[in-house]
Amino acid sequence: MKNWRYVAYTVIIAIAILFPFYTGTYLQHTATAILIYLSLALSWDMLLRTGQISFGIAGFFGIGGYAAALTHLNWGIDPLLGIILGGVAAFFIALLLGLIVLHLRGLYFAIVTLALAEIFRVIVRNLHGLTGGPEGSVLPTAIFGGDPSKIYWLVLAITIITIIVSEIFQKTRIYFATTSIRNDELVAKSSGIDIFKYLIFVFAVTSAIQGIIGSSYAHQYAFVTPEETFHIHFTLLPMAMCLLGGMYTTMGPVVGALVLGTIADYLKLQLPYGHLLVYGVVIVIVILFMPRGIVGTVRERLERGK
Amino acid sequence: MPILETKYLTKTFGGLVALNEVCFELNENEILGIIGPNGAGKTTFINVISGIYLPSSGKVVFHGKDISELPAHIRCKLGIGRTFQIVRPLQGLSLLQNVMLGSLFGRGNSLKEARKEARGICEFLDLAQIERDIAKLTVLEIKKMEIARALATKPKILFLDEVMAGLNIDETKEMIESVQKIRAQGISICVIEHVMSVIRELTERVIVLDRGEKIAEGPYEGVSDNPRVISAYLGEEE
Repeated sequence: MKNWRYVAYTVIIAIAILFPFYTGTYLQHTATAILIYLSLALSWDMLLRTGQISFGIAGFFGIGGYAAALTHLNWGIDPLLGIILGGVAAFFIALLLGLIVLHLRGLYFAIVTLALAEIFRVIVRNLHGLTGGPEGSVLPTAIFGGDPSKIYWLVLAITIITIIVSEIFQKTRIYFATTSIRNDELVAKSSGIDIFKYLIFVFAVTSAIQGIIGSSYAHQYAFVTPEETFHIHFTLLPMAMCLLGGMYTTMGPVVGALVLGTIADYLKLQLPYGHLLVYGVVIVIVILFMPRGIVGTVRERLERGK
Repeated sequence: MPILETKYLTKTFGGLVALNEVCFELNENEILGIIGPNGAGKTTFINVISGIYLPSSGKVVFHGKDISELPAHIRCKLGIGRTFQIVRPLQGLSLLQNVMLGSLFGRGNSLKEARKEARGICEFLDLAQIERDIAKLTVLEIKKMEIARALATKPKILFLDEVMAGLNIDETKEMIESVQKIRAQGISICVIEHVMSVIRELTERVIVLDRGEKIAEGPYEGVSDNPRVISAYLGEEE
């Protein structure tokens, strides 16, 4: 049973790596976009496992994007190094802000993270000299000269790293800490868990992932603007994917992103003007009838069948 | 020297005085009972000692060291373990995983060590089928799981907040035996209980709280005849 699982993983990874060899530019582009949202959805779920609902994904995504773009423009920093720097920037900003905002819980935390993302955007918009202001900044070239297969492999690598981090969070003591903090903070602290330390750690790590994805996105399109780089769909779409696929697992957001990403792209071609409506209806129906998401529902059925 | 003492411990919530200058001592390897009518401040007392609340004034002294300002997770690591009046099993984790929590974080053990220790503790408390989901446990098993989770932190003092509540006669008997077994391991125990037969059987000494104040202290037999205690439970005679 366990061996089969490894065989399956190997096959899936092999197909994913070989993907650009048998597809065209359009599909490679679509797949890259889906992987970007998949990683964002997974990073959001990793924080959700502690019970904290963040609306700030776009904020850290944008910080990463701007950090990578500006270090490249001003100091000529290599894009690949810049992508790592974007993650580092998001990590430390999340660390500092986490010291303040992680005293909040529930709705209060959610609203403050939403506000933070907006504040980042407003600051970036107004720092004309540094960021290019409302018009943003344009990079001389896209990363890898805009080669879609190489960009796909870069994003795939980031996605695989995100999945590995998520699995580390699920297979180590971090799993016990996050699960108990989400369930019952009183039990968590009475069992010796330093709740604040774990929350800051998870918040900083997941923000770093969002920053890294943001920086690779900035280098992929070779421009950053306040409105596009901090766009709210980088927050909302990953959340929808996670809810659709199922929360608190690695598999949930992965499945959710693949399903919703594919549907979104198909609908965009079929219904250029109405696709968002159908898309919204799909999300509502799934959440109404499968509150535990696709993965949660399937697992439940399988267990009942046993 | 007592292992734990409180000095003039006071806790207020706004205008409500939940604890009023409570002084108490817990000796090494003793079973002490804390009794009192509903709302007397018994659970607040445990919460202040275990660090869920910080005291408004007064001190909590553990092994001669003032721990009044330390956060709950540090006090847990120092050796103050507790259960909860309203059981708090962690959903989504198995019985074994719930117990492992104490060993993992209270003592900083690895997953492997924690699993081994938790198995031992479950066996010690006669908890079987430890891979079961927590939702499938009986009341007695959940109460025992709470004790096991606290024991996994290797406490020097264990606070049991109404662990007998909701148990039938046989289960109560089983629980009393478990508590005595735990004491035999050298752990000091504080039991909060409404069931007086349990207090009589288990404890050497009790303290009585009423409206946040300690109104009596001593062996159960003496305390139960105390007129202040009787009036606290039954009301004043006209």
